[in-house]
Amino acid sequence: MRPSSRRALRNNAVAIPILLVISLIWIYPFLWTISAAFKTQGGLFTGGASLIPDQLNFDNFARAWVNAGFSQYFANTVLYSVVSTFIELVKSALCGYVLARFDFPGRVLLHRLIIATLFIPVASIIIPQFVLVQQLGLLNTRAGVILAMSGSAGALYVLMFTGFFASVPSDLFDAAKLDGAGFPRTFWLILPLAKPVIAVVVIFQFVSNWNEFNIPLVFTLGQPELQNLAVGMLSFKGEHAVDWTGFAAGMTISFAPMLIVFLLFQSYFVRGLAGATKG
Amino acid sequence: MATTTDTGRERVRGFDRVWIFVFLGPFLLLYFGFTLWPLVATVYYSFFDWSGIGPIDNFVGMGNYGSILNDKLFWLAVVNTLIFAVLNTVIKLPLSLLMAIILTRKWLRGTKLFRTVFFAPLIIPVAMAGLIFTYLLNPSNGALNALLLDLHLVDKPVDVFAGRWSALTVIVLVSIWQIFGQYMIYWMAALQNVPEELYEAADIDGASEWQKATQITLPMIKPVAVVILLLALVNAMHVFGLVVTLTGGGPGTSTYVVSYFIYQEAFGSVPFAYGYASAAALLFSVIAFVLVTSQGIFVRRAQKLRKEYGV
Repeated sequence: MRPSSRRALRNNAVAIPILLVISLIWIYPFLWTISAAFKTQGGLFTGGASLIPDQLNFDNFARAWVNAGFSQYFANTVLYSVVSTFIELVKSALCGYVLARFDFPGRVLLHRLIIATLFIPVASIIIPQFVLVQQLGLLNTRAGVILAMSGSAGALYVLMFTGFFASVPSDLFDAAKLDGAGFPRTFWLILPLAKPVIAVVVIFQFVSNWNEFNIPLVFTLGQPELQNLAVGMLSFKGEHAVDWTGFAAGMTISFAPMLIVFLLFQSYFVRGLAGATKG
Repeated sequence: MATTTDTGRERVRGFDRVWIFVFLGPFLLLYFGFTLWPLVATVYYSFFDWSGIGPIDNFVGMGNYGSILNDKLFWLAVVNTLIFAVLNTVIKLPLSLLMAIILTRKWLRGTKLFRTVFFAPLIIPVAMAGLIFTYLLNPSNGALNALLLDLHLVDKPVDVFAGRWSALTVIVLVSIWQIFGQYMIYWMAALQNVPEELYEAADIDGASEWQKATQITLPMIKPVAVVILLLALVNAMHVFGLVVTLTGGGPGTSTYVVSYFIYQEAFGSVPFAYGYASAAALLFSVIAFVLVTSQGIFVRRAQKLRKEYGV
């Protein structure tokens, strides 16, 4: 055996047990929730820190899905996340492309404005956003939530796309032009090169939209059935405070899809982000 | 051939001007409606006593600001937000960097599993995390107390939500638990920019993992580290969801943070005080801006370093 692989074995023997213990603590809240989803109310109350259900009980799932509005919250969350992420992707890719490749009056100003407003917290400007959506007659509608969500984010992504498109060699653009590609067609030809940036925007923005709390809370105050999972959970605390096992079942259902998405795409996260931060 | 400027950007001609407009349109429209105009409007509203109902006509000048300067709850919220932001940042950044370094070691097995574990909390909505932890930490039968009692570490259950400091600590820790994976990934991305050859050379010289970390990794990622630090601080200053779900600002008002204060003033209790909340939002933004831009010197220095290293 080569010395380096012996060293690797020794390192693994030390690192893996430690990492396993930390991991177990880290995902304990998940395991506890999944286990609570199968427990009875009584079993949950006397269970304490235990991860083993007193009995395998499946009615919690049915109750969460049907009675507590989980199916509704879930559908809203999917809708808000998918549509907002799509809008954010399109608007920032288009804008980033133009900022990177073309000179036009106001380009420098726009670029500086975007940088200057990069870190504006939603909480500090949510009142005028609320007033605007109200005046558009979209308060307490799904369109209003989507509009506010996809309107609030994006500055960072524009800069990422700008950085990316600026790094594409101009020969490629010239080649597209020689082939007779017009303005939109050239963009369409170059766009696939931006896959790493697209991956980052989609993944990060999807996760962040999935968990968005402030906007759905404020923009659905009058229509609880429009809430997403993040906000719906809150009302659950008040109205269904006794039904903890149903609540746990609902959570188990709702974090499963995101976990699968991450497992499938996790290599894109790191690779994409590294590609996007470079340059 | 197209005329290009010295920066490589093309000057637009003819019909392409229309395309520029079409491409910029979606972003500009949303950016104007949901960022630029709201910024101006916040300043405007802050000079009025306005409940959101009826016309904005009760001009009070600096009146809102005068009241806020004397509003003990606002300053408590500011202090809590800053405590939260600093504690949160100084704990999560080094830990997530350490974990990122460990999980990018080539010799380590099972990295995919471990990465997923540390990333997992990011996928649960903040309100869910809040509710899970209120249950896990509750004094009557929560997991924490069951464990502490079983191990005879305490004689009677602890209510972590009963005191300001313990409640703030819980918010900080739960927030770190939740956001940890995101910063771990930022660090991993930064680590990918370190040329592999440097490690190979160090390996030949017989360098230990510790030497490689302190003498290659840290200096090389320093420029990106400053950006991550800024991001962490700014994001931490927006803390909202966890406060709503874990403590609701309590006990009493002792864990109020600024975004919760704004929410309460604007939407949480009748009569709504849009003007007052806008003034609070603006004042805090200025405080945050001053604090963050004081880091600007570091950023500029970092960018210079970045150019030197070519990353």
